[in-house]
Amino acid sequence: MAKAAARVVLISSHSGHYTGGVKEFDIEAQTLHDVIKALDARYPGLGEHLEEETTVAIDGEIHEVGYYQPVRPGCEIFFIPKIEGG
Amino acid sequence: MAKHHVTATLNGNAVEFLCETQQTLLEVLRDELQLTGTKEGCGTGDCGACSVTVGGRLVCSCLVLGVEAQGKAIETIEGMAEGTNLHPLQRKFLEHAALQCGVCTPGILIAARSLLACNPDPTEEEVRYGLAGNLCRCTGYNKIISAVLDAAREMRGV
Amino acid sequence: MDTKTIRPDEKALRIVGTRPVRPDGVPKVTGLARYGADFALPGMLWGAILRSPHAHARIRSIDSSKALALLGVKAVITCADFPEQKFEFVGPERVAINFWHTTRNIMAREKALYEGHAVAAVAAINARVADEALRLIDVDYELLPHVIDVDEAMQPDAPLLFEDMITRGVEPAPDRPSNVSKRIEFNIGDLEAGFAAADEIVEMRFKTAPVHQGYIEPHACLARFDADGQGEIWAASQGHFVVRALTARLLGMNIGDLLVHPAEIGGGFGGKTVVYIEPVAAALSRKTGHPVKIVMRREDVFKATGPTSGASMTVKIGVKKDGKLVAADGVFKFQAGAFPGSPVMNATMCGFAPYDIANVRSVGYDVVSNRPKSAAYRAPGSPISAFAVESALDTIAARIGMDPLKFRLLNAAKAGAPTVWGPKHAHDSYADTVQALLDHPAYTAPLGKNQGRGVASGYWFNNGGESSATVHVNEDGTVVVATGSMDIGGSRASMAIMAAETLGVEYEKVRAIVADTGSVGYTHLTAGSRTTFATGIAVVEACNKVILELRARAAMIWSVKIDEVIWEDGWARTAGKKPGTREPLSLKGIAAKRAVTGGPIGAEASVNAGGVAPGFASELCDVEVDPETGSVKVLRFIVAQDVGRAIHRSYVEGQLEGGAVQGIGWALNEEYIYDAAGQLLNAGFLDYRIPVASDLPMIETILVEVPNPNHPFGVKGVGEVNIVPAMAAVANAVNNAIGRRLTELPMSPPKVLAAIDAGSGG
Repeated sequence: MAKAAARVVLISSHSGHYTGGVKEFDIEAQTLHDVIKALDARYPGLGEHLEEETTVAIDGEIHEVGYYQPVRPGCEIFFIPKIEGG
Repeated sequence: MAKHHVTATLNGNAVEFLCETQQTLLEVLRDELQLTGTKEGCGTGDCGACSVTVGGRLVCSCLVLGVEAQGKAIETIEGMAEGTNLHPLQRKFLEHAALQCGVCTPGILIAARSLLACNPDPTEEEVRYGLAGNLCRCTGYNKIISAVLDAAREMRGV
Repeated sequence: MDTKTIRPDEKALRIVGTRPVRPDGVPKVTGLARYGADFALPGMLWGAILRSPHAHARIRSIDSSKALALLGVKAVITCADFPEQKFEFVGPERVAINFWHTTRNIMAREKALYEGHAVAAVAAINARVADEALRLIDVDYELLPHVIDVDEAMQPDAPLLFEDMITRGVEPAPDRPSNVSKRIEFNIGDLEAGFAAADEIVEMRFKTAPVHQGYIEPHACLARFDADGQGEIWAASQGHFVVRALTARLLGMNIGDLLVHPAEIGGGFGGKTVVYIEPVAAALSRKTGHPVKIVMRREDVFKATGPTSGASMTVKIGVKKDGKLVAADGVFKFQAGAFPGSPVMNATMCGFAPYDIANVRSVGYDVVSNRPKSAAYRAPGSPISAFAVESALDTIAARIGMDPLKFRLLNAAKAGAPTVWGPKHAHDSYADTVQALLDHPAYTAPLGKNQGRGVASGYWFNNGGESSATVHVNEDGTVVVATGSMDIGGSRASMAIMAAETLGVEYEKVRAIVADTGSVGYTHLTAGSRTTFATGIAVVEACNKVILELRARAAMIWSVKIDEVIWEDGWARTAGKKPGTREPLSLKGIAAKRAVTGGPIGAEASVNAGGVAPGFASELCDVEVDPETGSVKVLRFIVAQDVGRAIHRSYVEGQLEGGAVQGIGWALNEEYIYDAAGQLLNAGFLDYRIPVASDLPMIETILVEVPNPNHPFGVKGVGEVNIVPAMAAVANAVNNAIGRRLTELPMSPPKVLAAIDAGSGG
């Protein structure tokens, strides 16, 4: 396992439709855009789904999905269903 | 069916309007006289957002017919301040942040003024019961009660 | 009203944390502020909506000929006047929108799915003619059996709302349709092993009734269309950009052709984050060529606008003797109403979130039934699962003889603790809210006869997202801050505070306004506890851009490089070793020179804000129960919430106070009551009884401030989490008072009395 890789987890069952149920990945990346591109290369269409329909938790902190979001080596990234409140 | 011609006093000024038999005073104020400060929350007299005074008496204007205003003195929220001088209740509501969305505020101000006119030195419990006919969903009533008690103090000159 | 600031060693702030008067205050106390129903245009028509009297019926035909023939009626519309929408779930999965459903909620197509479901609408010269026209529309209904309760809707023989609904989230997919739209499951650890290791286990069932957000202002709007297809809407909503997007989509028009003006809003709490009447008014206006105003009646607000779900839940908890939680399992079945989309996913994620538990399973079912489509209500879903979880935790803490607050402290999630939905917690402050209650003298104050005390905690994600703000310096140096965020509860004041603090000027020199959809960039809803956070970030960013511009202008005026100019406390000054060599320039001074230095001074910032910190709240409730009537009186209620940093102290307190009271109403009295035909019996404020002033004590608030490093002022969203623990706090207090556990909401007097009469127990 590459030390520089981030651990990426898709927890939405909807995401699972694109990946045939595979949920966890190790991806070398410097930005979230790298992560999305890598996943989309493996599972075409997944990229757009992640951009439009998920929020992301990086090391537990919730952020909007943005290309520029930096990814440090060894961090944990969860793509979770997008949050709406009331 | 011809409309009724009504003359009355509104916030100290002579007013006249035409209304249908079934139109409520609330509808007349808002739709015929363009005074939209008095709000409709329910139309059935349960929420107090439409509170006005008619002949000095606190009423839900949704439960009063327009024709019943004939010859009476009506006071609405638009008449509460004197020019640019806010009524102490209005000032205290702002100071105490006693409104969040503000839609219940006109009715509560009118009801609070009536309450203090009857009882210038109410206890907290008396204010709570006095305003029990005015629903507020935003504030939980805390700051409304504080504002009314504080205004009462000022109005008593304490 | 107490404030505990956990990190007091920061730069002193001048205005943040104070209580200035809100800039929109005077119009609101004088009746001049314009809410959704307060607009009118010349030539305006009145719109009215015909609603199904039946809970479930096929619509065979609609004959509007008699209505159209009535003098004064200008148009009648049905679903035929709205384009059909593709069946696909889009957008946020947790609250996924499927426009195929949305358009049918706005105007029924094949079926009426709840009493109150819109089936047709008219525009007429006045309200009386409009109402008369509704009576002349002939709808041929074929009555169908209906189902409302969530457990009943899940039975295999329940009447189906959609004959082709196959439950999503189940592998393999079921071979028969049902009313279960979706099943979700989260789990971590090993549940079986966890329970095997437990010394004590409780398993309890809970039921809650649906409740309405209860905003005092019914939905209202005015729509106007030009012959070239452009339109304008004045609407009270929690997000005029969302009104624009949804209405444009439902009418099949370009977003850019629709301008939405933000009316003041008389309460939302999540219920005004969607559209009901705006597309109808727009369609009527487009058809008639005249402006159309629609104001919902209170009865229709109850019958046809989304309440939150009723729920049926099972929670199982396992602990060790020393109080450590080892396993938790929750099954949450939520009523979605007539179309899919209950907040059950939120509920499954939030219920156990305050606690550090290694083995958890959380299952949710989204179930349709013949009631209005559910809409968001203050931390949607979380208060419901919290009622179940916090009641169960209270029960098991008592079982092992442990103080309920110390029990929560022992198990409190801190940064690094797992969540059932995957990521680790990134914030510590839950424990601070529990400690705040432990430290409060009320916690150990003695209780009298028939009195009881309960505590509970809760979690809510809070939201970030897209917001825009523009900041302009006026010719005299005063400032205008315009954002796209509707002001529900004092946010203009907060924006002005944050701008004034950033710029270093007085609060009174900065005016905050809410701009329409054409005048500022996209801004998402005023909901989800996001406004002070996300729009605040946009405001501060715009101010920082303005400061950069002001420094550049000063540099020009002084003929120096910009690096030699600093901005400090509202003044441009020269930096460097010899300060004060030039007279500092104020906003006013620079604004006076704006034309020669390049023109008007202003900036816009648009953000997609992340780095949200979640909300944690812990609450204490003291009650007194009347043993003869079952009536519960709340004697004391304390909310301890981590607010990050309070920008306007009074409006932050106001959120805690208001949320607590909504929770009290939900706990003690609010529910929908249906007759055998599925028709609502209490569609008004008399019998849908929300708390009134005489029901309540002063709500006490403790603002715990653990600043969020991802916001320039440390803000955490505050609007929602305060409602999450409230029902459980009341239920735990009632249990403490009468020695009986009520597991069904509301705990109205007849139910409490029945519990008392059933004898003592525990």
